[in-house]
Amino acid sequence: MKTKKYNVIDQETGRLDPTIYCDPDIYKEEMEKVFGRAWLLIGHDSLIPKPGDFFHTYMGEQPVILSRDKTGQVNAMLNICRHRGARVVRTDDGNCKSFVCPYHAWTYGLDGKLEWVPGEEELYDGTIDRAQLGLKRARVATYAGLIFATWDQQAPSLEEYLGDARWYLDLEFNRSAQGTKAFGPHKWVIPINWKTAVDNCSDWYHVPYSHASAANALTRIMGAPRMTSDVLWKKKGRAAFVNGHQVAFFRLPEDSFDGNPYGVDSTAENHREAIERLGELRGDGLMLGTHSLFPNTVLGFRIVIPRGPNETEFWHFSMTNAADTPDKQRAVALEHAAQNGAGGHFESDDIDNWSQVSSSGKYAGAREIGQYVNMGIGNTHTDDVFPGQISDRFVTEQNHRFFYNRWEEFMNADSWDDIPLDPMKATFEGTASMDG
Amino acid sequence: MTVTTKSALSGLFDETLWSTINSFYIAEAWLLDDRKLREWLDLFTEEMVYYMPRRRNVNRKELDREIPARGTDLPYFEDSRKLMEVRIQRLESGTAWAEEPPSRTRHLVGNLLIESVEDDGTVRAKTAFICHRSHGETATALYSGYRQDVLHPVDGSWKISDRTVVLDANVILDKNLAIFF
Ligand code: FES
Ligand SMILES: [Fe+2]
Repeated sequence: MKTKKYNVIDQETGRLDPTIYCDPDIYKEEMEKVFGRAWLLIGHDSLIPKPGDFFHTYMGEQPVILSRDKTGQVNAMLNICRHRGARVVRTDDGNCKSFVCPYHAWTYGLDGKLEWVPGEEELYDGTIDRAQLGLKRARVATYAGLIFATWDQQAPSLEEYLGDARWYLDLEFNRSAQGTKAFGPHKWVIPINWKTAVDNCSDWYHVPYSHASAANALTRIMGAPRMTSDVLWKKKGRAAFVNGHQVAFFRLPEDSFDGNPYGVDSTAENHREAIERLGELRGDGLMLGTHSLFPNTVLGFRIVIPRGPNETEFWHFSMTNAADTPDKQRAVALEHAAQNGAGGHFESDDIDNWSQVSSSGKYAGAREIGQYVNMGIGNTHTDDVFPGQISDRFVTEQNHRFFYNRWEEFMNADSWDDIPLDPMKATFEGTASMDG
Repeated sequence: MTVTTKSALSGLFDETLWSTINSFYIAEAWLLDDRKLREWLDLFTEEMVYYMPRRRNVNRKELDREIPARGTDLPYFEDSRKLMEVRIQRLESGTAWAEEPPSRTRHLVGNLLIESVEDDGTVRAKTAFICHRSHGETATALYSGYRQDVLHPVDGSWKISDRTVVLDANVILDKNLAIFF
């Protein structure tokens, strides 16, 4: 058996090596082996609804143009001009007929094909092979309006990559034929390693203490449900793990946090539609809680964009049900803005914690003592009803152990051939599908 | 005083009003920097809105899209009085870790432009600001932007019913927006 280059998490004890948060060489390797291979969430259909629409996004550190061409097809292209490497698109979004590079005006179609080079005859003597000089394209696929892309031609399909995690993601993203609508994003730069933000978003352990001030003020002034440890530890939620993705889910109505009779649906009609699409159990009996998709998506949805070993740009979108009225959508978006995002009551309190966890790996003493993500070891099993590996608590550090195990699998692999995928077992009732 | 503002040219400039509002803003900035947040919140009406939109990078010809219209987007803040009370009560708890220990802030507010004065005394005013934030041991952030306020004369002072804070930044180069502007 080949020895593993990276062995950063001890699955038996939960000991984690914090060097992975700081080391510049590890970071460089992550950019290739994780961000160069994985399916990455890069946007949402509702950000580019019309032909000619584009949205500027990132795959790992790399700038990417997400566009919808005249045929309605969605494209993801590296935003680096094939001539000298200038950024072709410099705005956050817009609508255009073609992309003209501001440096020497090489001009690309909405699908990245090189359409025009100034002086092609006079200056280049007709030697330009335009067919070879389009913008570098990524593979693109969509699930329920969420747009993903990968640089790796060998990567499995998005369907296999998400696998049975979709069974749970449907609870939020596949409830209505009209799908979801994205608002935002907030964009801000935080001094952390990207992995900390992802593992934290599946960490319910910190919620009652880190966020006590926000939860208490919201309970007192707005009448929001209480979020004490007493309440959270007693909730019967569970967590499921598939391919390094994590989802927490709750039974309705008893484990609902908001007392909404329809769970996440705002009207009886929306609720009926969700049951038709997803079946009784998923449409009526379950609610999705926190969820993260390997490597850098924290759904709600939010994208964690690496900018260096200890720098990360965080993008926070609000997702709303497109079947809701504009007023309802707006109210949901504003609630999301007040709670999470750069100015959110909850989110603001996370960042210093994440930053200190990330930078601890700089210190010899911290590397010697390691970090411990050992909560709930041995409590994971398979289940007849729920696909994936299940833990009977949603407050668990199993998510951390699965995430770092998946990270090791990517970092130790020479290609996708060495990266295992969980078999797909879920029965998708109703009409939930990859084209949601 | 030489008067060259647009408001002055259109006849709106009233030196006494300008001075009164200017000193109101100076006092307001001191309340923020002295961390007297309750007294600061008392400068707002009950129906207040504290609003901070995003700021997009768009081409010059599309500058009307740079600041998304209110009600169409995901702003950083669109807070009612109640939500402002949540924020302040949170900070007072001593466990709002984003501001524990609290930031040292310095707000410089200037370039006061009185945009309009209505018959009932309602004033629309625009100011530019620079705010420096120092947090913990070494974290610093520098914000610049402008504010647009709707002010009402109340009991010899002013109350703000609507504040729009527009930052100049596209991506915010700070770990959170746990301070006020
Ligand atoms: S770098 Fe783009 S045209 Fe020269
Ligand atoms: Fe948190």
